[in-house]
Amino acid sequence: MLDHPEKQRYPEFHKRVRLLGIALFVALCILAGRLWQLQIVDGEHYTQQAERNRLRPQVLEAPRGMIFGRDSSIVLADNRAATDLMFISAESEDPEAVAERLAELVDIDPQAFLEQVHEHRRQPYTQIPVKRDISRTALTRVEEHSFALPGVFTVVRPQRRYLYGSTGGQLLGYLGEIGPEELQRMRPTYKMGDRIGRGGVEQYYESRLHGTDGQLLMNVYASGVPQVRTDAYGRPYIETDSFGRRLREETQYPPESGESVHLTLDIELQAFAEGLLEGERGAIVVLNAETGEVLAMASQPTYDPGVFVKHGEDEARREALTDSDEPMKNRGYQDAYPPGSIFKLAMAAAALEEGLVSRQTRYFCPGHFQISNRGRRWRCWRRSGHGHVEMNEALAHSCDVYFYNIGLELGVDRIHEWMTRFGLGVSTGIDLPREETGLIPSREWKRETRQPHYPNEPWEWNWYDGDTVNLSIGQGAAGTTPLQAAVMTAAFMNGGRRVYPFINQELGPARVSEPFLRPETVEAVWNGMFMCVEKTDYPSGTGIRAQVEGLAVGGKTGTSQNVGLHHLEQYGDNVEDIPYHMRHHAWFVAGVPDEDPPIAVSVLVEHGHAGSRAAAPLAREVVDYFYTYRAPSESLLMAKREAEDE
Amino acid sequence: MISATHDIDIMDAHIGVFDYRNLFRADRVLIVLALALVVIGLLTLYSASRSAYSEIPYYVKQMVFFVAGAGLAALIVSFDYRFLISFAPFFYVLCLVLLLLVEFFGITVKGGQRWLGVGPLTFQPSEFTKLALVYMLAWYFHTIQHRIRYLPFFLLAFVITGIPMVLILRQPNLGTAGLLAPVLFVMLYMAGCKRWHLVAVVVAGLAAIPVAWTQLEDYQKERVRTFGNPAADARGKGWQTVQTMITVGSGGMWGKGFREGTQTHLSFLPEHHTDFIFALVAEEMGFQGAVVVLALFGALLWRGIVLARGSPELQGTLVGVGAVTILAFHVFVNIAITIGLMPVTGIPLPFLSYGGTFYVTTMMCVGAMLSVDVRRGMFSETDGA
Repeated sequence: MLDHPEKQRYPEFHKRVRLLGIALFVALCILAGRLWQLQIVDGEHYTQQAERNRLRPQVLEAPRGMIFGRDSSIVLADNRAATDLMFISAESEDPEAVAERLAELVDIDPQAFLEQVHEHRRQPYTQIPVKRDISRTALTRVEEHSFALPGVFTVVRPQRRYLYGSTGGQLLGYLGEIGPEELQRMRPTYKMGDRIGRGGVEQYYESRLHGTDGQLLMNVYASGVPQVRTDAYGRPYIETDSFGRRLREETQYPPESGESVHLTLDIELQAFAEGLLEGERGAIVVLNAETGEVLAMASQPTYDPGVFVKHGEDEARREALTDSDEPMKNRGYQDAYPPGSIFKLAMAAAALEEGLVSRQTRYFCPGHFQISNRGRRWRCWRRSGHGHVEMNEALAHSCDVYFYNIGLELGVDRIHEWMTRFGLGVSTGIDLPREETGLIPSREWKRETRQPHYPNEPWEWNWYDGDTVNLSIGQGAAGTTPLQAAVMTAAFMNGGRRVYPFINQELGPARVSEPFLRPETVEAVWNGMFMCVEKTDYPSGTGIRAQVEGLAVGGKTGTSQNVGLHHLEQYGDNVEDIPYHMRHHAWFVAGVPDEDPPIAVSVLVEHGHAGSRAAAPLAREVVDYFYTYRAPSESLLMAKREAEDE
Repeated sequence: MISATHDIDIMDAHIGVFDYRNLFRADRVLIVLALALVVIGLLTLYSASRSAYSEIPYYVKQMVFFVAGAGLAALIVSFDYRFLISFAPFFYVLCLVLLLLVEFFGITVKGGQRWLGVGPLTFQPSEFTKLALVYMLAWYFHTIQHRIRYLPFFLLAFVITGIPMVLILRQPNLGTAGLLAPVLFVMLYMAGCKRWHLVAVVVAGLAAIPVAWTQLEDYQKERVRTFGNPAADARGKGWQTVQTMITVGSGGMWGKGFREGTQTHLSFLPEHHTDFIFALVAEEMGFQGAVVVLALFGALLWRGIVLARGSPELQGTLVGVGAVTILAFHVFVNIAITIGLMPVTGIPLPFLSYGGTFYVTTMMCVGAMLSVDVRRGMFSETDGA
């Protein structure tokens, strides 16, 4: 054996075998080194990626905070449990039979349903919505036939409910899906598809109402979608994914529901006021004159915010969004109108405060007014004139010439200053979104807006006495919201304080300034307002249609022009003959200072043409309703509470 | 002396081509290493079965394959390896016939026509071809002896390897076909070919890569491209690569625990019971577990080389080295793919990956490694006597 020829090659062979061994060792070292790099050096990085793979958060929507009315027993918006009917094809052997039965029971299109089933055949545990938000009766019908409906079950989700429908619709606001820009801003609190308050309280108090969404952290498979179901108590849970694989829950972060908001809104008064405006376009604002609480801010036309959360209301939704009457705008604080004669209340107070006139100061009204003998003539609304008028009469009869005179004496600067004190032309500070601030023109305003257009024609942007005359009776460029009008009125009901209206009870009770009017001034203007309503003997006050038996009501009419009077001459005196859009806006502001609580009411009827006819009766109804029909129950309630407190 | 006489007696007088007592002379170290890997493999497969569903669990099936493979390995050990080598041309031709049968009657699974069905059983002839080629080459080198240094004889070895290689490539089964080349090279080298012959072939082979590239199927090219930049299409073609890295990397030092792998059991990593099973080990057992498995493989292969070197004859050495090369290629390429050092191609990991024919082949390789050693003692005894 020793001379076996192969033995001769052994030394060389040993070298070669050693090389093989070394190659083996080097290869092993490379593998181990790479493992070290992946697992130890980059281990943390890959661990995070694996965790991100493994865990998928399922959002648990936080129940939105409730919105209460003036009384906590009155719920304006809450969350109801909407029941969705779902189907899992994996749990049913014969989807056709189920589809047929469902078509009979809940009126669905069986063809479309079966198409959906077919679409998801690869992931048979996918929940297929049969019908969203089914009614109680439909649910009962389905439950009675559950033996014939294998794979059909219900999932419950919270859905916003507005219990008073369209009443106060614009004040409550609605919910809409969050938009891309908002999302950018609000990450990570909000996620795509989240609903966010739009308009009204829902928007203004979004951060409080929204709450904090919770999370179900699930161990998921590489593919497949976790399927959320709800138990008998409506609590969401996940058992399987769309392939039917069991999923394990890692952790749960329960949602924190949003906080409630208690409003100052008297929903019954609101409904009553909206009823009064039915068929018109306009607004009625009722403030507690002592505190600034918004008791009602009716605006017609209105809309039902519920259509934005319910299924199958697309038509109503589109109508609300696109109607040219803008039902989603609250005319109470989101639109400004020329104040017209209601402006005279603040003008009178300003003149008294400035000491330019006393209550007894008289001006002669011949039915028209001229600054100079050859200048333009401004008419008084009463062409025959009012003769010699004092302040009381000027207010009661709304004499324009009287205010032309004091307007000129005050001058535009002081007028602007005083109107700002009254809260006209500036934000009232109400806790609602997108408030219209209105406008009280001033020298600066005129120059700033017009100079850029006429840089070399100073007569186009200089302020003239004629502008002041126009402004004195609330015409020209002036614009105020009905809410501002109510704020102004409230000052004469509460001893000369500026109220800052609010709708969230928590902002109360003291949202009023120190008195900025002397008591005599308040007294004088109040007397004019009182006469305006109460003076029935000839010549009667313009506001007599606002009289309420047994209540001391004061008020002021306003009729603000949309077009120059000369345009209307061709149509004669009958309102019906004048085209709707050319008719005047009708204003009436009213106050009841001596009752508890004192209120300030402002009524605006778009194109109502005459404050005395179109607006004053509505104010009367509101005051009457508030004190005569509601007061007893209110005081009873108070008495009961006091009894409880003791 | 009695025992020595007895041994000589066995060798020269009564030795048959078959002797079951060889089993008791087989190298214990290699057997222990192989059994350790078998146990680890079955445990890993048991873990993988948690999410890789099969009517009969994979680890149970694998145990059956182990029994079959161990039986065949015992058979190989019991035979005189020289007898087996002398039959090598027969095995070789048999394998070629089977490969041709696959070509015409093969069963196609996942795009590769690799399987032959016999009754209820299916198997891949290409797997057995690996070992048959090792024996065939050993036979050939033994037959030509030193003439291997002449170019024609050197090149004939390429023909012998080339025929099954082409047949396997046509299935297509790039991984297995690719394995035959290193087997040939290592065995040529060990058989004592001229070095520059080998170097020339390797250089020519490298030069041919651009040509080979044009011959690749589109999906294969895609795999290579994906290997270059898996993150570019992490949800699509790069998925396997990216998820494999995450699986291995997230194991960290100590792993996530037995049967606790999230990547594997939540099916982020496909094929985790077959080609990517090493990722499961790395994820659940961490760096330490992966290194233990690596070390076991290293020790097994090293022991195989030692045994091959100890074989008294060249043909024995060649069989041993050939078998070691088969296993080494699978171990290194599979793990390199798993940890992102090579583009994805279907290469199973010995002892761990699920797969019947390959498991049996692995066991037979171990048998071959053991068989070339069992007669060493006899020679040394003889030499000493």
